[in-house]
Amino acid sequence: MATESSESEEEGKITGGNQHLIVEDDLREMGKKAAWSVSSCKTGNGVSSLRDDNLETYWQSDGAQPHLVNIQFQKKVKLQVVVLYVDFKLDESYTPSKISIRAGDGFHNLKEIKTVELVKPTGWVYLSLSGNDPRETFVNTFMLQIAVLSNHLNGRDTHVRQIKVYGPRPNPIPHQPFQFTSREFITYSTVR
Amino acid sequence: MEALLANYVEKSLKQYMRRNAIFLCERLYAEFPSEVNLQLLARCYLNNNQPHSAYHVLKGMQMAQSRYLFAVACLEMDLFSEAETALLPIEELCAHVTNGAAVQYLLGIIHRDTNRMKSSVEHFRKALSIDPLFWAAYEELCILGEAEEAAVCFGDVAIHYVQEHYLGNASSYLQIANSDQSLDSSQAFGLEDLSLSHLQQMEGNNIRNICLNNHGGPNLTGPVGQITNSCCNSSFFRTPSPVLTQLSDMAPPPLIRNIRFCQNEVSLRSSTQARREFVRENESAQIRGSLFFDSGRRRSARLAAAQRSFNSTQGSENKANNLRASIKLNSGTCYSTVCKGQFQNLEEAFRATSSSLSSSADVKSVQDETVNTQLRSFISNSSKIKSGISDTINLLRILGEGYRHLCEYRCQEALNVYQKLSSKQYNTGWVLSQVGKAYFELVDYLNADYAFSLARQISPYNLEGMDVYSTVLYLMKEDMKLKYLAQELISIDRFAPQAWCAIGNCYSFQKDHETALKSFQRAVQLNSRFPYAHTLSGHENVIIEDYGNAVECYQKALHVDARHYKSWYGLGMIYLRQEKIEFAEHHFRQAYRINPFSSVIMYYLGTTLEALKRSEEALVMMEKAIVTDNKNPLPKYSKANMLVTLGRLNEALEILEELKECYPRESSIYALMGEIYKQHKKYDKSMLHFGIALDLKPSIVDVAKIQAAIGKLILPDEIEDNL
Repeated sequence: MATESSESEEEGKITGGNQHLIVEDDLREMGKKAAWSVSSCKTGNGVSSLRDDNLETYWQSDGAQPHLVNIQFQKKVKLQVVVLYVDFKLDESYTPSKISIRAGDGFHNLKEIKTVELVKPTGWVYLSLSGNDPRETFVNTFMLQIAVLSNHLNGRDTHVRQIKVYGPRPNPIPHQPFQFTSREFITYSTVR
Repeated sequence: MEALLANYVEKSLKQYMRRNAIFLCERLYAEFPSEVNLQLLARCYLNNNQPHSAYHVLKGMQMAQSRYLFAVACLEMDLFSEAETALLPIEELCAHVTNGAAVQYLLGIIHRDTNRMKSSVEHFRKALSIDPLFWAAYEELCILGEAEEAAVCFGDVAIHYVQEHYLGNASSYLQIANSDQSLDSSQAFGLEDLSLSHLQQMEGNNIRNICLNNHGGPNLTGPVGQITNSCCNSSFFRTPSPVLTQLSDMAPPPLIRNIRFCQNEVSLRSSTQARREFVRENESAQIRGSLFFDSGRRRSARLAAAQRSFNSTQGSENKANNLRASIKLNSGTCYSTVCKGQFQNLEEAFRATSSSLSSSADVKSVQDETVNTQLRSFISNSSKIKSGISDTINLLRILGEGYRHLCEYRCQEALNVYQKLSSKQYNTGWVLSQVGKAYFELVDYLNADYAFSLARQISPYNLEGMDVYSTVLYLMKEDMKLKYLAQELISIDRFAPQAWCAIGNCYSFQKDHETALKSFQRAVQLNSRFPYAHTLSGHENVIIEDYGNAVECYQKALHVDARHYKSWYGLGMIYLRQEKIEFAEHHFRQAYRINPFSSVIMYYLGTTLEALKRSEEALVMMEKAIVTDNKNPLPKYSKANMLVTLGRLNEALEILEELKECYPRESSIYALMGEIYKQHKKYDKSMLHFGIALDLKPSIVDVAKIQAAIGKLILPDEIEDNL
């Protein structure tokens, strides 16, 4: 279940950002299996710019705050990290400042699981969805919503250039309780 | 003029002067438009990799040879239906052409490529019965899984059959010694001689190699080149009885055609024939070298002298027939030099004939003389022929048995059979590749690596089997060796699918799966009938989780070769992941049916059965897997898991303790033991094992699982404390 609870709300400030996207090997991008939608957008800067692997194109909202990006999966998935590409130098007042991440089964029961404040970010920003408890490394949910609550310099609309969502790789050998770690086990586990 | 031109064209063909041959042949045909010359023209085109030209030239021709050549051209252009209509009716064709076995073989290939497997098998079997030395037919039968035991196909019956025909032909040759026809028959005798000597080189693909060499191995020139030509000829065209009669009727053209036929028909087996010639040459040269006999050297010197004298007298020949006959005869002698067969006396007798023929002036008288000497030597020769034939067939039998075992994945038996070969035959590229493949299937990667590397040292230009070698290195995680292999293979032959498979494996190892996929697709483009390229594409698609394309790739592989069990396995894995368990079971069962000796397949079949809740069958399958390969830890682990679900915890613990001894760093063993102890309520032991499992750095998912399990352990403790 989604491990949201009022105690796990925390404020964190994130500055800077990576130029290169580096993700651990045992995570894989889950966004391809999801349906992406946004609360509003300007023509030509729609939701597809969020997923096109092109940092030149961006999504621009066109409505009232908060601006929402909705990611809906067909079945419950384990998610661990959300990565955004935002750049203060390029977007200035359009750069998001306060971001809230919510999870749930659908629009009716989303609960906030994380809030962050970005301070002049310049690249890939990693937002981990894990709770403090090591048992809560993942969020197991149908839907994720990324809400931009405010922008830098009090801008109304926001630019986000790319969003990626990561979860753990499933066991390469289905129907086994635990994954194998040693070389001998892995050697015998596939036919190539 | 016609004779002169035709003669010259033949010579150019033999010396690989293709453009020369084509141009002159076109002039010849324009001047004397006859179907025989048309066949010669078609042969020139086929030799120059222009099957479309040959196709258009021969379209509609009805002579047997023309139909055969036309079928060959059609097959090169993948026009199966036209090729088939050209080759029927078979009986008439076989009577006119000395290659009844080759016709059957071609029909077998056509039927196989148009998915008529049963009739394909029949045709291959007929080819083998007509010509027991037709290795290619036996090979195809093995690949289709329908081969009989090699002892049957290459058995005593075959020996007698071949012996009779050789000896029968030889004796009838002697009977008609005193006529012009004797020239032809001596050619026949020479051809048989060649084929006999050629038999010595039966090393599976060797025939193909030598034939493929014809497609322009530029290193072979002059007499050597001619030799390779007729080598092909001899082995394929062993329909004994028609040989002599046919020769006497249509002496020159069919023989010349026959040489061409063999080349082309063999070249059909790979679309990249011209490119593989380089690959083949070296191996065949080595094989020839290994069968070298001292006497051959002296013979070759004498034969070369004979040819020189022949060439000098060429111009003075009047009779067209004799000219052509002599050419063939001479080329026959040249063939025997390279073949270096064991039939010393036979060849001496033959040589005597040829040298006599080369002096055109007194052909007849010398002929009579040599016929008499041959009569005398013939009788002592026949026993040598017999022993030679039986040696050859024995060699074929060993190779056939080994190949059949490997195709049916009885790897240990295959290895034992190949051990019976002489060290000369064993230390060749083909055999060592087979040995490597056997070890690969046994999951013994170290020995496979050794065998393949030896094969590469001995014949570095043989690319067949190198795709499997690259997979071995990939699975052994030998990054440097894999890269080196891929570089070497590409530098040898950029158009070989095996080289691109190796490159794809390289990229896949670097986790660059898109490029790996592109490389495998390139291999597919180069040869769409190469099933392993399709299978590897499927594997890559699975890794990047593009299951739709993966299924397509696997199905393409199965379309080409329904016995490619890895594709069945791949499909089973996809369905298992997608929770379509019944489909998964069906596919794993197919894989198991094809390769019942693979413990990995058994393991997955067992896992699937367990998922279908058929626990008893699952346990039986796991037991089988454990027995088949004791070194494979996965079935044991899975069996322990199943026992846990069945509640037989102590037995499970025993197995896991054993596994722990052998694999002390495998986190999943400790995790499962922790689970078992938790069920036994031995919480401290459970904690211990969970702790060790965590220390061994499992994946994130497992870390979460184990920590959740630990958390649940602590709670009962607290409750007890509180109480």
